[in-house]
Amino acid sequence: MTVLLLLAGGGFGAGIFGSLLGLGGGVLIVPLLTFGFGLPFREAVGVSLVCVIVTSSAAAGVYLERHLANLRLGMLLEVFTASGALVGGLIAFLLPDRVLAGLFALLLVYSGVTMLRRRAPAAGDASPASVVGDAAAGGVQAPGPFRAALAGPGYRPVRLGAGVGGSVFAGVVSALLGVGGGIVKVPLMHLVMQVPLKVATATSNLMIGVTASASAIVYLMRGGIDPLVAGPTAVGVFAGAMVGSRVAQRIDVGFLRLLFVAVLALTAVQMTVRALG
Amino acid sequence: MASGATPAGTAASRSAHVDLMIARILRAGTLVSIGLLAVGVALLAIAGGSPLERTLPGLDPARIPADIAALRPEGFLWLGLLATLVTPLLRVGASVLGFLGAGERRMAGLGVAVLIVITLAVVVAQRTAV
Repeated sequence: MTVLLLLAGGGFGAGIFGSLLGLGGGVLIVPLLTFGFGLPFREAVGVSLVCVIVTSSAAAGVYLERHLANLRLGMLLEVFTASGALVGGLIAFLLPDRVLAGLFALLLVYSGVTMLRRRAPAAGDASPASVVGDAAAGGVQAPGPFRAALAGPGYRPVRLGAGVGGSVFAGVVSALLGVGGGIVKVPLMHLVMQVPLKVATATSNLMIGVTASASAIVYLMRGGIDPLVAGPTAVGVFAGAMVGSRVAQRIDVGFLRLLFVAVLALTAVQMTVRALG
Repeated sequence: MASGATPAGTAASRSAHVDLMIARILRAGTLVSIGLLAVGVALLAIAGGSPLERTLPGLDPARIPADIAALRPEGFLWLGLLATLVTPLLRVGASVLGFLGAGERRMAGLGVAVLIVITLAVVVAQRTAV
């Protein structure tokens, strides 16, 4: 009973933090389960993928209702993120835990640096008006019929080839490390494809469900997801994300961000020790 | 087609319709998934013991109805997990139908490609399962 409550409570905390800081939560759930509950790394990744799908499905519905996510662009790119996730899901069962832990440590360092550099408000707070404002700064190039179909109000995605290649990589990262892959997809869409930041974030969120499902199926069928752990954790993450999204406007996330970076740094050290040990 | 305004407007209105339909599917799927998982967690709490000390056999869909009928937590947890995984795929399926209805065959084709990748994931996972 105590462990059950701790799993749900830990998930709740990860859900709130993830929601307040604009993260999917996977970057918190994997360390929580490996260091907090002693789960093998691969099992923690499987549970994290389930949690990531739950939060993605809930948030993507809201993003679509607000017409922030670009469904067409998302569907194009998720063909490739899902392909990458399928490959990553298979590779994950071939790599030793230590290698996965080392890769996760790198991800944590990258996440921390990105978090410190971030000055804009969390993308989850996006409003349609701010999307139009971002879009005005986006690059536009002469569209073919297909590229035109991917366009949104005030922007047209460019460099589709790079977007496709990057999406495969994002899928592999998601499957190997149990994260949504937004940390790859959002910069890819925003900086490379010149999609407005708010749209990139919403579209990335929309894609996470399909991407994570492709690899979660592999984990599930190979016995990599324990429902007794995934159930309470996912319910906790969902509840935390709901609470976080409601209080986000009233909380100054500046201090939280610094605290989070400190937690990431500490976790990165622990992961590195695990990788080397 | 003198300017980009007309086709953009048409695409926007079609998009809005498909977006809303998919948003409803995602919301319903999430509620069903979380509802099932929450029932499973509640039953697990009633049963007592640590979830980390128990080991369940792998997924066997044929056993789920009997587990649910007997109010065993694993039945609700497995079904909740399956509902979680299927929700994004339902979203893709609905997108395919929506785009076909709007005459956007190329976009519908992308949705079908996603479903093919997912089917491939199932087949590969089955064949490589240990």
